[in-house]
Amino acid sequence: MTQSAAPQVTRAWGLLVLLTLLSLAASHSGLAGLAVNGLILAAAFAKGRWMLLDFLKLRGVPPGWRALFLCWLGLVTVIPWAAAALPLLRG
Amino acid sequence: MDAARALNAAQDDRPWGALSDLPGHPMMWVLILTDVVTFGLLFMTFAVTGAVHHDVFAAGRAQLDPVLGGVNTLVLITSGWLAALAVESRSAGRRGTTQLQLGGAMALGFVFIGIKLAEYIVKAKAGIGLETDTFFTLYFLLTGFHLLHVVLGIVILAAIALADSAENLKTGTAFWHMVDLVWVVMYPLIYLIG
Repeated sequence: MTQSAAPQVTRAWGLLVLLTLLSLAASHSGLAGLAVNGLILAAAFAKGRWMLLDFLKLRGVPPGWRALFLCWLGLVTVIPWAAAALPLLRG
Repeated sequence: MDAARALNAAQDDRPWGALSDLPGHPMMWVLILTDVVTFGLLFMTFAVTGAVHHDVFAAGRAQLDPVLGGVNTLVLITSGWLAALAVESRSAGRRGTTQLQLGGAMALGFVFIGIKLAEYIVKAKAGIGLETDTFFTLYFLLTGFHLLHVVLGIVILAAIALADSAENLKTGTAFWHMVDLVWVVMYPLIYLIG
């Protein structure tokens, strides 16, 4: 690992902080429902992706590993969204 | 014969197969993969149970403090950032900076534990426990299991601060980032969506 990766790590941290604050703001917006849930979980997916690529250093590994972890991340964000949508759709 | 020799040479180079491609010791990645599968199943359980017992989960979630959870998220991602910077510093040969950054990462890990314990104490004082309802059973199970990983992560960070080879740094911080990653999904799942 070269020293030049430090700015990339710091940029990822800044984005993680920003998305955490946006998620918190969205949950306090008074709005509820599928769209807000989707926004919050999309932010969680984006945060997880940056962690995998820049903190866990998966940018430089074979693409199969990235695909595996991103699939896991997709599952643990999409399934909760779908599960939360069911009662909302039922009214 | 030549093919067999080439195969043996390849196995010598990559004794852990595909796991050898990942940063740090492959055994740590076995642990990380086991943990992400376990937490993934727990998240599914929480989400599906929440869909079945929607009112119970809505009432339970209303008793949580999302700001406190958000502060803990910021604490943990900042700790992860310092741990990632420690790997960069060690690779650049700046061992003093590495130690400071690892110390900062561990200190923030303790802050996370403090906030989480304060949250548990508030719940206990309100008469809320493991058996209050399905939401709180899963809340304590998921966050408690994660908290144990935070404690283990701090122990690992302390160990790599003592034996701070570049390889050890990559191995130990990988576990810490996994703990961070799991929380980043767990926080919205438990505190925010519903």
